[in-house]
Amino acid sequence: MHLLQPHLHTRRAFLRRAGHLAFTGAALPTALNLAAMGEAAAFNATDYKALVCVFLYGGNDYANTVVPYDNANYDLYSTIRQGGVGRTAGGIALGQAAMTPTLLTPSTALAGGLQYALNPTMTGLAGLFNAGKAAVQLNVGPLVVPLTKAQYSGADRTTYPLPPKLFSHNDQQSIWQSSSPEGSTIGWGGNLGDLALASNANSLFTCISVTGNAVFLSGDSALSYQMSTNGAVKINSVASNVYNSATVKSAMGQLVQQARSHVLENEYNRVTTRAIGAEGSVSGALAAYPVANAPFNAFPASNSLADQLKMVARLIAARSNLGAARQVFFVSIGGFDLHDNLIAQQGPLLGKVSDAMTAFYNATVALGVDSKVTAFTASDFGRTLASNGDGSDHGWGSHHLVVGGAVKGAAFYGTPPPVSVGNTSAPQDQWHVGQGRLLPGTSVDQYAATLGQWFGVNTAAGSNEMAGILPNLWHFGVAAGRPDYPIDLGFMA
Amino acid sequence: MQLNEEDMGVEESAQAPRDLSALAAIASAAFLAACGGGGGGTSTSAATNAAATPAASDEEAARFLLQAQFSASDAEIATLRSTSYAAWLNTQFAAHQGPTGWDWLEARGYGVVDANNYFFSTYPADFMVWNQLMTAPDAMRKRVALALSEIFVASLASADFDWRSHGYAAYWDGLVKNAFGNFRQLLEDVTLNPAMGYFLNTKGNQKENTASGRLPDENYAREVMQLFTIGLYQLNLDGSEKRDGSGNKIESYTQSDVSNLARVFTGYDFDTTTGPRLAVPGQTYTINPKDSARLPMALNASRHSTLAATFLGTMVAANTPGAVALKTALDALFNHPNTAPFFCKQLIQRLVTSNPSPAYVARVASVFVNNGAGVRGDLPSVLAALLLDDEARSPAGLSNINFGKLREPMVRLVQWGRSFGIASAAGTWKLFDTSRSDTQLGQSPLRSPSVFNFFRPGYVPPGTVLASSQTPAPEFQLVNESTVGGYLNFMQDVIRNGFNIGTPAVPESSFTVFARDVTCSYSAELALVLDPAALVKRLSLRLCAGQLSVANQSLIATALATPSLSAASTAAQKLDRVAAAVLLVMASADYLVQK
Repeated sequence: MHLLQPHLHTRRAFLRRAGHLAFTGAALPTALNLAAMGEAAAFNATDYKALVCVFLYGGNDYANTVVPYDNANYDLYSTIRQGGVGRTAGGIALGQAAMTPTLLTPSTALAGGLQYALNPTMTGLAGLFNAGKAAVQLNVGPLVVPLTKAQYSGADRTTYPLPPKLFSHNDQQSIWQSSSPEGSTIGWGGNLGDLALASNANSLFTCISVTGNAVFLSGDSALSYQMSTNGAVKINSVASNVYNSATVKSAMGQLVQQARSHVLENEYNRVTTRAIGAEGSVSGALAAYPVANAPFNAFPASNSLADQLKMVARLIAARSNLGAARQVFFVSIGGFDLHDNLIAQQGPLLGKVSDAMTAFYNATVALGVDSKVTAFTASDFGRTLASNGDGSDHGWGSHHLVVGGAVKGAAFYGTPPPVSVGNTSAPQDQWHVGQGRLLPGTSVDQYAATLGQWFGVNTAAGSNEMAGILPNLWHFGVAAGRPDYPIDLGFMA
Repeated sequence: MQLNEEDMGVEESAQAPRDLSALAAIASAAFLAACGGGGGGTSTSAATNAAATPAASDEEAARFLLQAQFSASDAEIATLRSTSYAAWLNTQFAAHQGPTGWDWLEARGYGVVDANNYFFSTYPADFMVWNQLMTAPDAMRKRVALALSEIFVASLASADFDWRSHGYAAYWDGLVKNAFGNFRQLLEDVTLNPAMGYFLNTKGNQKENTASGRLPDENYAREVMQLFTIGLYQLNLDGSEKRDGSGNKIESYTQSDVSNLARVFTGYDFDTTTGPRLAVPGQTYTINPKDSARLPMALNASRHSTLAATFLGTMVAANTPGAVALKTALDALFNHPNTAPFFCKQLIQRLVTSNPSPAYVARVASVFVNNGAGVRGDLPSVLAALLLDDEARSPAGLSNINFGKLREPMVRLVQWGRSFGIASAAGTWKLFDTSRSDTQLGQSPLRSPSVFNFFRPGYVPPGTVLASSQTPAPEFQLVNESTVGGYLNFMQDVIRNGFNIGTPAVPESSFTVFARDVTCSYSAELALVLDPAALVKRLSLRLCAGQLSVANQSLIATALATPSLSAASTAAQKLDRVAAAVLLVMASADYLVQK
């Protein structure tokens, strides 16, 4: 990728995120695309593709998710995490033998005999990895520029800026989703949606969240549309007579959709108006794909993430009825902030992630769209490798999973971090910033760009589409003189 | 004028010296400064000392009451109008009434050890807190405690310890006690509370072990700074961020501060020394004595870090006794220049407006710094300054299209209950968690999804005009295409029929027989049922301080007129009309945004 004036593009992206170039006025245009802002034209897709962000709220412990397995590295891990004798579980270390069923067998072995296994609960995802349908991106996290530990520890913040508010949950969630801390209003999922608006008959169904509000799905024009795991919520008092009165129903319909001069009042009613307008379309489209039917009946029960992904699968099945050619989805599961009880609680959570994402992948196969749908994990941050007794503390870089038929699976991407927590000048301590808090070797911008180019973002020379979405991307890649931080990480076909 | 509190017999710290006349002078001076700039629009009557005057109208009284507490009943409006704002506040500051949450749980039988496993259940705490919010006579104290529970967040949703409902009752009772106390005591009580200890991992936190590499848990050290006291960036007194010579924001702490402060919070665990472990009938395991859920966590010196700790420019020497180290640390946080603006701005956001002016924040924060009688952190003085400030009281806010805040869903429900005579026929108050967002409120007291509350003070709703100006609207983090309908559908049933409760006669969770046990009586509203215009006018005053627009009053009254009613109409028909009136008002944007 070549950028003639990367500073200008970056500036634009930052300003947009800060709201200064956002559109003002009571009614934001809903079909406007980046072309109207002088940016490159959006793609006009005739096929279907979807990205699904699976956010693990709380900061997932990387070291017990993608775990060093070969004897040499396992022993380092076990010593730091206070494992038992004979490579058994202990402290916050998992037992080696328990991970044999979830050993990852890449098509090309890692150098130096390094092996990883997934947490023992993640049998489904280990199977998908080994079948070539899932990949692991090692040590990815927010970066403004490529960074060494010396640069991190140094005083030159002008040349080597750090992502703001490291180790803070809410801010790092926001930075993963939008490149900016709390208060950000534009995320990269939403910007991908901006490019796709023209491809979709109903622009509102471009970016859909099946969990709480998240900045990830809000673009310059694309809105984050919210659904529940049961579908769109019908407002009974607008749809049907209220307490036996048709006039009350009519008044309700007027009241809740009124334009208001007060800013907060108006924005509230805009959401309600949107909800009422979309509900019929969504409910109608989903009616043809009931939960009792295959493949939706194959999702695990008592698994909130599975409930969300089941809804995503139904929406994908109904894509033609919804007029959708490109979609970005957001789902989440919380509970990963395990300062205590890491062993007792992380495994079951990761088991839910694995079961849900595996069921979702299987559903895309059944729907014939497995090569059209890519799911990927994200989280606030990784955690310390060091133990605080029965848990770990806030970190930075982490390992993440990418799943789908278009993923070049059975492979690790990025650089494996050495297993060490020392504060020395030795090589193995140059990848972490204390207690095994990983200094990312790959930036979230690279991770996003790799997904974005598969989704259809124009990466041809001269195009600035990607730079408009990912404001720090121009610091990475060949054009920036950093081929060791490639724009395309290579995990997508 | 000296505040004249009387001790209501509850456990309180000694009364802080407090000088309301100084406060009133602050409020008055601020107003005059604002007017001096030629800013017209406010009535001259407001130029007089707000604290010393009575409310000029029912609407002004209701507006104040709906900021200070939950509801504005006939009696509450009349009481406020019969006295001055300051005198009314004095009365509230002295009031600490009704049973504590803990005592309520005990009275309802949740303290027994039997097959119902109350000690492993969280629903008794839901019943407890809804009961407190809906019925306690000291409404302002409870309203402020609820606001504090959204700043000092601990959540029932992840509580997993013996006597967890009792633990959250104790947490709630501590917020209630300290709501009109001092911030420093509040901070200490929160820090050592068992529910918080479990939630943010101070419970069981151990000192470093150089042999194994184990380090202290950093969770409480980080969040007490980021969320409870000083925040991420150095602040001016008006809440704005300080800048260095290059124009950059200045971080208020580093990772080193977190790691060092974490040492101070080592060595604590539940105090289980007050009695034997309790046998559970039919089980082989035993559980902690009940008091372990309310006693301050106990310090085990052998597990407390002996290393020196340096944080925020404060030094705790090696081998300092734990209690001394804790006092040093909490004093440092309490006295940090960020704490006053950081806390006061959020309290303003919870009670009055999402975007207070910097000058408003500075006026309230300066009272936090010194209440006029030399006391720092005196919360009644802070609350008086906050509520009596011209920015809260001036009618200018009513014509400012950016003033005010979205009412929180759980506060709307409590307001509804208190406004219309809510009662539990069986007295059991079995109101459960209302967190589901598509069929309920998407919010439930003491059940934040994380320590970051239901919404962030800096949340800016994307895709709105607020985004273009980077204007926060915190409560909008709960607003989306699911929750707007979830709220309306939930209220449509509850307003008309009350809560449908499983087996209200028994305290335990049971769903064999359903009854509409918790209902509102609507006695005053039913008396107006044949006069829709009067009914709507009344609801506008009670629910939104008369802020329902004339056009919408007319729209609603016209809609209510059909079907027509007479005195001979059935009770069900009359209730239909009253419920429709309440639902329409509570659905209107005029109501939803408190101004």
